[in-house]
Amino acid sequence: MNTIPMSYYLVLSAVMFTLGAIGVIIRRNPLVMFMSLELMFNAANLTFVAFSNAFGNANGQIFVFFVMVVAAAEVAVGLALIVAIFRTRHSIDIDLMNTLKN
Amino acid sequence: MSLSDLLILLPQAFLLVWASLLLLVDLFISKERKVITAILGAAGLAITLGLTSGQWGSRATGFNQMVVVDNFSVFLSGLFTLAGLVAIVIAYDNMRRTGIHKTEFYSLLLFSVAGMMLMSAAADLIIVFLALELLSIPLYILAGLAVPRAGSAEGAIKYFLLGAFASGFVLYGTALIFGATQGTSLAGIMASIQSGTAELPLLVIGAALLLVGFSFKVAAVPFHMWTPDVYQGAPSPVTGFMSIGAKAAGFAALIRVFSLAFPSLAGQFAPIFAVLAGLTMVVGNVAAVSQVSIKRMLAYSSIAHAGYILMALVPLADPSVAANSTASALTYLVVYGITTLGAWAVISAVENADGGDTSVRDLSGLARQHPWLAAAMTFFMLSFTGIPPLAGFWGKFYLFRTAIEGGYTTLAIIGLLSSLVSAWYYLRVIVMMYFRESEAGASRAPSIQIAAILLALAVLVLGLFPSGLFQLALQALANGVS
Amino acid sequence: MILDQVIFLITAVVVLTAAILVVSVPKMIHAALWLILALAGIAVLFVLLQAPFFAVVQVIVYIGAIAVLVIFAVMLTRKAMQDDGPQLNRYSVLAAAVSLMLFAVLTGMLLSWDGANNLPVNPAVNPDTIVNLGESLTNPQGFLLPFEVASILLLAALVGAIYIGREHRAGKEEE
Repeated sequence: MNTIPMSYYLVLSAVMFTLGAIGVIIRRNPLVMFMSLELMFNAANLTFVAFSNAFGNANGQIFVFFVMVVAAAEVAVGLALIVAIFRTRHSIDIDLMNTLKN
Repeated sequence: MSLSDLLILLPQAFLLVWASLLLLVDLFISKERKVITAILGAAGLAITLGLTSGQWGSRATGFNQMVVVDNFSVFLSGLFTLAGLVAIVIAYDNMRRTGIHKTEFYSLLLFSVAGMMLMSAAADLIIVFLALELLSIPLYILAGLAVPRAGSAEGAIKYFLLGAFASGFVLYGTALIFGATQGTSLAGIMASIQSGTAELPLLVIGAALLLVGFSFKVAAVPFHMWTPDVYQGAPSPVTGFMSIGAKAAGFAALIRVFSLAFPSLAGQFAPIFAVLAGLTMVVGNVAAVSQVSIKRMLAYSSIAHAGYILMALVPLADPSVAANSTASALTYLVVYGITTLGAWAVISAVENADGGDTSVRDLSGLARQHPWLAAAMTFFMLSFTGIPPLAGFWGKFYLFRTAIEGGYTTLAIIGLLSSLVSAWYYLRVIVMMYFRESEAGASRAPSIQIAAILLALAVLVLGLFPSGLFQLALQALANGVS
Repeated sequence: MILDQVIFLITAVVVLTAAILVVSVPKMIHAALWLILALAGIAVLFVLLQAPFFAVVQVIVYIGAIAVLVIFAVMLTRKAMQDDGPQLNRYSVLAAAVSLMLFAVLTGMLLSWDGANNLPVNPAVNPDTIVNLGESLTNPQGFLLPFEVASILLLAALVGAIYIGREHRAGKEEE
């Protein structure tokens, strides 16, 4: 038996998603930005599982499975890139990345 | 397992198997003969093109209604495979010259093309999400292909972070749409909306979040910040491919989702699309004017062109013009694709062997040294501007016409005025090439020259006989998206 | 029944605190550790939502693999991050304002939804959930296609990560 209204889960995931989005936008460190991205993905996962539970429908849970696969693929590529930049430049501050621009 | 399901996705499945095999085969090809890998990659794309065009005219859904193959998906798949082919031709010479010839390029490019094709055939949000990732992740890596070069890795990490950010929006939007309609299949969503069981507030936020996510992908203002850095940092052939591939895939998803799943919401979204389109056209064109680097200039120009195409999504709610406006978006995607690939081919030929930045000034005197390249570039710049009788003119003509038919005259006027602004920076390139004295060196590889000349011819021919392409685009909508 | 609510509230507070700290603490390694706490909190919520399998997967994949990789990356690059200087970028105030607006709109609309205060229906808990999951992942009429696409996605990411992670020396064309 479940006694927690849907809105609790939805608001919690909305707050988490917004926090993640704020983190991506305001932080300068790519690793912290990446961690904030994981918060956004987890907020979406929580929404999927909550709705899945509410509808008694497993399709939402299966979506979570694929999100985890995608997150694993992204972590591999993203961290490889971050480490590669560190190797060539020894700084990973996104604002100091100004080789680009004129 | 039913064979018909597999047959529906035969082109995509073939391409994925080919790409995986290519990874293996490449191990047995000696270092001096890496051209074979390039040829094999191109052959895979050519066969895929044949397979996919064989599906023209049929309509079938498969895998539990998750994919639908219709003329719309075939049309766009053709565009993606052709773009991939051109990218391989340009890349082979350019990558050897700049010392980054890595054979992983070919497999990753093929994976990305397969993801784009899957995106154009997606009929379920789960496939939209996975196809988005399948096309993006290889692109992040391709953008970082020249990785010891600082700019390339920087561009790649920015592309990666912003791309994953966009995926986050798509994902959360999908979650809310799932909550609103209890399903993720586009047909199911539409049925749920029509029967009134859908929860509208959730649906509207979900759709808006999807729109934000895809706006990042097509580089619409205000979600365009990543574009100049990525276009400048990535190797030029990759940028050429990305500038049409990722954009067309984003528009494919937008058109599919908004015309198939949310036709009833299209009216509410029309003002949002209109504002996005207007902003994108103006900001893209104005920012391009002051660019010194030709790569950054083309990046802003690609933003502006996304704005023109967005204009076609505004009148989707009006059934009398929806078909025409979607067809004009498809037409413009093809025209823009040919032109941008051509422009990037010329830049690939001109850029220094260190693969660093190329300024507009670096093109000066090109006409004397390399008359064919300069002539081709002239065609591309004129087509971008929209000078008749080149293809770009007709692309814009159809877009502006449907905007006016749909009652968005203001938008068409904004488009027209911003096109006038764009003439300034496009024509500056031509002036540089023909009226400035300098030694512009460029690659003399025949492959890249032939590619540029063929693309220029295509721009001319499509400009002289424009109705054929538009009719084809109309047919592409006839048996699926309408 | 009350126990459920107590557990939910405690977990929610922990998750939110951890999430706030992830985006606000200056030291990367602290942020990574707070991220692990937030991810663990989500796993607890999955249990409350009767998705025990995904709670386990969350712990194994997110905490066991992804978070650990993040910590590796933090360790590898920590010399570059002296953790001093401004942590926020130039647009932070504007960005925060936009994000808060986004949040207001999100919650406002979520709460205006009629079903928001419904209690979830109690689904018949199927003892064979994992069996069903496995079968639907390999059934062409289920989720076979996304499953295959996901596997190709992992292959592409693997190739790419190896390529990027390999030692590159300038001017060296091919090894």
